[in-house]
Amino acid sequence: MKNVIEIVNLKKSYGEIKAVDDVSFSVAEGAFFAFLGVNGAGKSTTISILCGDQPRDGGEVRVDGLDLDGNADEVRRRLGVVYQNCALDQPLSVRDNLKYRAALYGITGKAFEKRLAELTELFGLQDLLRRPVGKLSGGQRRRIDIARAVIHEPKILVLDEPTTGLDPQTRKTVWGVVEQLRKAQGLTVFLTTHYMEEAADADEVVILDAGKIKAQATPLELKNRYTGDFITFYDLTDDEARSLGMPYERVSGAVRVAVKNTGEATELVRNYPALFRDYEITKGKMDDVFLAVTGKKCGGEV
Amino acid sequence: MTTLRYLIARNCKLFFKDKGTFFTAFIAPLVLLVLFVTFLGNVYYQSLRASLPEGAALSVSVENGFVGGFLLSSLLAVCCVTVPFTANMIMVQDKVTGRISDLRIAPVRASALALGYYLSTAVISLLICLSACLCGFVYLAVIGWHLSPSDVFLCLFDVALLVLFGTALSSVVCRFLRSQGGIAAVTTIVSSVYGFLCGAYMPFSNFSSGIRTLILCLPGTYGTVLLRNHLMSGAAEAAAETLPPQAIEELRKAFDLTMSFGGNEVTVPAAYLVLCGAVLVLIGVYVALCAFGKSKRK
Repeated sequence: MKNVIEIVNLKKSYGEIKAVDDVSFSVAEGAFFAFLGVNGAGKSTTISILCGDQPRDGGEVRVDGLDLDGNADEVRRRLGVVYQNCALDQPLSVRDNLKYRAALYGITGKAFEKRLAELTELFGLQDLLRRPVGKLSGGQRRRIDIARAVIHEPKILVLDEPTTGLDPQTRKTVWGVVEQLRKAQGLTVFLTTHYMEEAADADEVVILDAGKIKAQATPLELKNRYTGDFITFYDLTDDEARSLGMPYERVSGAVRVAVKNTGEATELVRNYPALFRDYEITKGKMDDVFLAVTGKKCGGEV
Repeated sequence: MTTLRYLIARNCKLFFKDKGTFFTAFIAPLVLLVLFVTFLGNVYYQSLRASLPEGAALSVSVENGFVGGFLLSSLLAVCCVTVPFTANMIMVQDKVTGRISDLRIAPVRASALALGYYLSTAVISLLICLSACLCGFVYLAVIGWHLSPSDVFLCLFDVALLVLFGTALSSVVCRFLRSQGGIAAVTTIVSSVYGFLCGAYMPFSNFSSGIRTLILCLPGTYGTVLLRNHLMSGAAEAAAETLPPQAIEELRKAFDLTMSFGGNEVTVPAAYLVLCGAVLVLIGVYVALCAFGKSKRK
């Protein structure tokens, strides 16, 4: 499949600090691509450079086959960005917000009305169009924010930590809308986040730390490479846990034992059948992958 | 052009939808007018009478028209520069909220964004200052009207020109501001200081020669002189019917209708030239700042 984003040897420093240090990656058309990293890892700087909002010190950026140098406006037309903070004008109505943003891309008059009708249908905006954005709920506002980002029918939707600070219900709404867009319009989604589990459904994940790429693969490959499986026993006493002869930890009352792989878990089931009364075997989570790769937990050092 | 039109419409709508900011900006000139009339009116009446030759007196209508013109010109000279600082809050708010990033990643020239802020600030300020001017005309009509149609037209032109000056000045200053507190502080400082710096609160003749020279070096002063000329000359001409020419000349000097710089009298065309020049220079600086900003983008 054709690559819609190609970044080669990207570099950006702020004084002595290397915010982006020789980063190279590509994103396939229609893919859900996740860029993982703690705050300050260089995610937003990369996005800013990709959107042409910041100059770079070195490297190449190509979007949909277009070099950013000399084609900045064309590249911008192919990108829609949803920021961590809502980019809408709170005092204005939903309709006005979409109208003024569409005009920046030359979409006015009948063309705007047609696009507005499509987005109203897609996002269920009928009852919201006349209401000021500031009076909407967090979830509704986020929906409008995404509608704003795709008003000009971009090929790539960039989500720059779109769910930070949102409640679980609103997060669910955001992902519902993004999924809907991917299905309806075949958008490529470029997500930056420090919520590890949001990347679990991605087609490809890049883990960035201190401006450098530390790992790049599908979530499954990363889990297989960097974490083992976990057996969680729900009714084990400490004596019984110790009898396994393996390190364990108590998590919410349950006993959690790390094993190398599913084969080792099966071996334990065979050797200690009496202990396996109420249990589950799970793959490692993206949090575990991130911890193994960077030595950090999301949000700070271990 | 279409994009620019929408940008201006967006900025203006944002300003007028923010009732707090709009109301404050709109009411400020009227509050200033009331304060001038209430607290400074008598001071100016006394100054006027003291400037007349002994035993001479003016009719109530001429006196009112002269002092009223002085008060209104002071008010407009200040408002045309302070209101644009409030109106330019949209530019700063876009930076504070991060909305500027969204505008910058659209395929729109940085110059269009900058021009959008400049023109919307000018439109908003013009609406507010012209409204204040019309209220002032009503006040003059009630106490003593001595303006010719050309005075009215030129006064409106002065307001427009001063608004362009104030907008350019505020655009240059706001370009460096990145916080709500910053713009609030600057607006407060400008509101407090500018009236003195442009010679609006006190006639220049009351200042020491050093301060007078300093004030004459600032372009805003020439806007005040223009407004004084177009709002007070009619009353001065009416006063000439009862006062000798020398007394009128003294009166014109005492109330800044005429002033000299480096021994040369500053004529009305010269004042227009200085003000227009200042507007062009400030717009040039603003464009240069925007161009510098643009060079940071790819």
